[in-house]
Parts: sequence; C-alpha cells; structure tokens
Amino acid sequence: MKKAYLGVDIGSISTKGIIIDENHHILASEYLWTEGNPMDAVKRLIHQLRNQLDNKKYKIVGVGTTGSARKLIGVILGANVVKNEITAHAIGTLSLYPDVRTIFEIGGQDSKIIIIEDGIVVDYAMNTLCAAGTGSFLSSQSRRLGLEVEDFGPLALKSKNPTNIAARCTVFAESDLVHKAQMGHKKEDIVAGLCKAVVTNYLNNVGKGKKIYSPIVFQGGVSKNIGVIKAFEEATGEKIIVDENSHLMGALGVAILSQTDQKEVDFNFDIEEIEFKTKGVECKRCANNCEIICVYKDGKLIDSWGNKCDRGAIKVRKEEKSR
Amino acid sequence: MKIGIPRAFLYYKYHVLWETFFEELGIEYIVSPQTNKKMIAEGSVYSIDEACLPHKIFLGHVDYLIDKCDYIFVPRIATLGGTKDIVCSRFQAIYDIVRNTFRDRNIKILYYSIDILNKDTEFKAFLKMGKFLGKNKAQIIKAYYIAKQAEKTNKLLDLKEQEKNLESKKLKILVVAHPYNIYDAYIGKPIIKTLKEFDCIPILACCTDTKKAIQEAKIISHTLPWTFNKELVGAIGLYKDQVDGIILVSAFPCGPDALVNEMILRRLKDKPMITLILDGQEGTAGMETRIESFIDIIRIKEEKEHEKQM
Repeated sequence: MKKAYLGVDIGSISTKGIIIDENHHILASEYLWTEGNPMDAVKRLIHQLRNQLDNKKYKIVGVGTTGSARKLIGVILGANVVKNEITAHAIGTLSLYPDVRTIFEIGGQDSKIIIIEDGIVVDYAMNTLCAAGTGSFLSSQSRRLGLEVEDFGPLALKSKNPTNIAARCTVFAESDLVHKAQMGHKKEDIVAGLCKAVVTNYLNNVGKGKKIYSPIVFQGGVSKNIGVIKAFEEATGEKIIVDENSHLMGALGVAILSQTDQKEVDFNFDIEEIEFKTKGVECKRCANNCEIICVYKDGKLIDSWGNKCDRGAIKVRKEEKSR
Repeated sequence: MKIGIPRAFLYYKYHVLWETFFEELGIEYIVSPQTNKKMIAEGSVYSIDEACLPHKIFLGHVDYLIDKCDYIFVPRIATLGGTKDIVCSRFQAIYDIVRNTFRDRNIKILYYSIDILNKDTEFKAFLKMGKFLGKNKAQIIKAYYIAKQAEKTNKLLDLKEQEKNLESKKLKILVVAHPYNIYDAYIGKPIIKTLKEFDCIPILACCTDTKKAIQEAKIISHTLPWTFNKELVGAIGLYKDQVDGIILVSAFPCGPDALVNEMILRRLKDKPMITLILDGQEGTAGMETRIESFIDIIRIKEEKEHEKQM
C-alpha cells in the first residue's frame, strides 16, 4: 500500500478536494458547489474522490482542511492539519510554480494578494470584511443580467467598448449597473465593465501599495473567468498564469501540509455513511447569548465552538452528559 | 450618593485614578459590567449611525447605569497639552451627547472637564468636581494626590509586566489599539485570546511610558495632532525592535485611526503588519483567519531565515 494525502478546501461557494501521492502527483480531484451545506458537500466530495482513487493501491494517511468551513470539516474528517487559506494557497502554488512572485486570489467571499520572495511569503493582504468585488458579487450580478456565471467570461471578450462601472463598493456598483443597463448599454459591454471593475477594485483595495512582480499566478474561483483574466493582463501589463488546476491550489497546499505533519491519521472513506449533525445552541448564561455550534457524530457530541467565554463551554459539557 | 461609572472609553485609561479618588473621598460608586451584546444593541439604538463602535458601547453602558445610581460619571476632555494637540472630538462631545440623548430619562451627570489650552488642568478639574461632591479643599487635594500616586504605581506594575513579556522567547506581537478597544471584553479581548491560542505573546502599545512615547512619536511624524494616537505611534517606535510583528486595530469608523494607521503602514516597512477593523461582528472567523495567517507567515519566514544562518 502506498501512502496518499487528502486535502479539502471548503469555501463559501465551492468545495474542492484532492488526493495526492508522496510526490505530490494528483491521484484524484473534485470540484463541486457548497450550496450552503458544507457537511453535505464534503460527503458528496468524499464519495466522488473514493470512486476516482485506486483503493487497493493507496491508503490515505494524512488529511488537511482549509477554507472558511475548515474547522467544521476538519472535525468531521478527523484532519491532522487545519490551516488558513493564505498559507494553504501559498504552499500549493509554490509546489507547482517555485518561481512565483505574486499570487492573485479571488474566491467567493475573500480576495487576497500574496507576495513571495525566494519561495517565502513576505507580504500579503486580504480584503477587509467587505466582500466587494469577489466571486459572490459576480455571480449575483450575472443572475441579475440573466446569465450563467460560466458564460460571463466569453461574453466579456466580445466587448469592444467596456462600460465604466463604479467599482469602489458593491452596492454602488450594482445601482450603477442597473442604471447603465436601463440607459441601453450592450450586455457584453456591461459584462466586460464588471470584469474590469472587479480588477480595478482588487488592485486598489487588496493590492494597494504592493509591488507586483511577475510571474503572477491567478487563482480562486474567479480565475476561471476569462474576462477577468484579460482585464488583469490589461491592468498589470504582465502575463497572468492560470493553472488548469488553479481552483485546487488551496486543497493541494493543505494536502502537502498534512504530509509534512508528523502525525498520521487513520482515514476511512465510510465517512459518507456516518451521520453528522450540527446544532446551534444559544447559551443563556449572560447577555452575550453566544450561539454555540455543537457537532455530533452518530448522535455523539465530538466538538463545539462559538462561545466567547468559558461559561459557554460548561454548557456543552453538560449537554453531553445528559445524552 | 452613588456614582455610576461606565466601563467604556476613558475608563480603561483612568479607572485607577477615578476609583481611588472616589474611594478616598468616601463616595460610593458602581462600575457597569463588561460589554455584552445587549449593551452594544442598546448603544446602537441611542447613537447616530455614523458614531464609532466604542461610542455606541459607551452609550450602552450609560443606558445600563441609568436607574442604578444617582449620578453617571461622564468626564470631558478637550485638550491634553501641547499647543497643536487635540483629542478626538468624541471625547469633547461625549458629555453633551449623553446629556441630550438621555434627556427624557432624568439623567444626572457628574463630570469634570479638562482643557489644558484654556488652563483647565486635571488638578483644577478634580477640585471643582470634589466641591460639587460636597467635600472641602483639603480633603479633595489629599484624595487627588493619593489617586495620582495609585495611578502611577499601577502604571509601573503594568510596565513591569510588559517588560517581562518582552523577554519571552515566544513570538511577540505588538497590538496597536486604543485601550477602550483592546481591553473591551466584547470587541478587543477576542484578539488577545486568539493570539494566545496561537502561542504568541501580545504586547500592548497602549501600555507604555506616556512621556517617552509622545517624544518618540515626533520621529515618525511631527504634525500628528491626536494625543492618544501619538502615544500609540510612539509606542511602536519604542517596541518595534523587540517584537516580531505588529497588528493595528481600529474600530469602525474611527477617523483618527483611519489616517494614522495608514501613515504607519506607509512609513514603517521593516516589520510585518496587518490591520484589523472591528465592527461588532458576532463571528470571529474573519479575525481568526487574518491573525492565523499573519502568525503563520511570520513563523515560516523566521524558520527560513534560521535555516539560512545554519
């Protein structure tokens, strides 16, 4: 049996999974929508990955999770590594592009820029808590325009004269967009304008004050949008590299991290048959009313979080006893 | 007579002075409890929506104290010395804002007003307040000096503790935040808690030798007008060589911080830095992700540098 490592990147919009061997070769990968239900998404993901992997040849000994639901999914999968997206993306990208200097990343809710020197992350920035100019903005605007997100990029390329759209704030951008549409601007021009707005917004906010050197790698869900890639190339004057697996970089990074971790885990694909449940409990011990999330595996409490103070922690323990 | 002290804004800077002063004069006081969700919600109702988060929190604490004491203690600070120095207008206005916001609820306010530029010193202000409380001059002066001594001792103890922390071998992160943000149980404490969970030692910029810090601040900017920000900027200068990274914390939408933090980001290039903006969000995931990745990057960088030296 050869050793294999599972990495799961579970974001607000999409869930990505990857299985690699000891030499970081991809053995299996899957990409699907989170649909607001990370636990269900991860079960579907594991099911797909199981079908792709040669179970007789490989055994998974390391599991890593990243993305906004990393904690929850980390508990469910019994991960040995739970890492934030920035570290995961940097490590994943560096394994494929050791010379990379700048990573642009635009996901569903987050956007970040990572600056690398000699293979070390030296600086990074992330959007403030505002989700302006991220994937969720593009997908809600495409719905407004009656388009599939997938058609967005190719349509943008058709435009010869992109419409100017105020990019500073999503709310303003949206009203500007409605206004421009009502004025009679062509759909492809508006779409191209939106792609440009995303790029301008990104470079002015997240990329503010950062020196951008090539090679530049662009990833995250939005990197699949050819319109945005083109807008980036125009704005920076550099070639933008988008790996065919650009959406998998976070998962790859965290899979590599799970390999470097000394601990090995005993991962079982049967996880898809186990029933996991979460329950939100409101702690009533003080006026904060923290909502505590309890995770149950087959009805047994395995973890909980969300309490601001220890009073909440006691409550969880009590609940476990009563079961 | 019972005084109610809101646990917000200047409380975190002056509570030893205030509490000792009242105790020495034999005046009963209560302090509102730690900030909680309900207080923020109440405070937001009473504030205009442009007000900053700590301002909303202050009004929440005042709301809590009404009906629980005879007087609510709301000091006012206009200027704190230096010919061009000012404090944020919130501290000048807070007395009037509280009086007018809670006008219909028969609020009685105990206050003192400091305006160094108009020769209203802290000493004069306390003398006036003491007289209002019905005490004689000798009693007030004695209480004030004892309170000042207590304040000084407390500061020295804090500084000693910080010195000890600075000697630690662990990763040290300088947290640059106003005391009313970082000491607040609801908005600031989670940052300290998260840093400790990642095995870091938080070093607080607001815990510093005030005089030295204000002197030091001039090196970074000689036109900076806000006294409280000056202290923080100076503290960065004093501590930066002893820490591994700097976190700038600001409460939305703080005007002085917005300008000063941007200036710090542009002028200091030799330390890893991030900005965290607090806005009373309930989830801490965003804050945790930012701190975790920040710490990770510092650690990876230091490891690689260590390898190079080997």
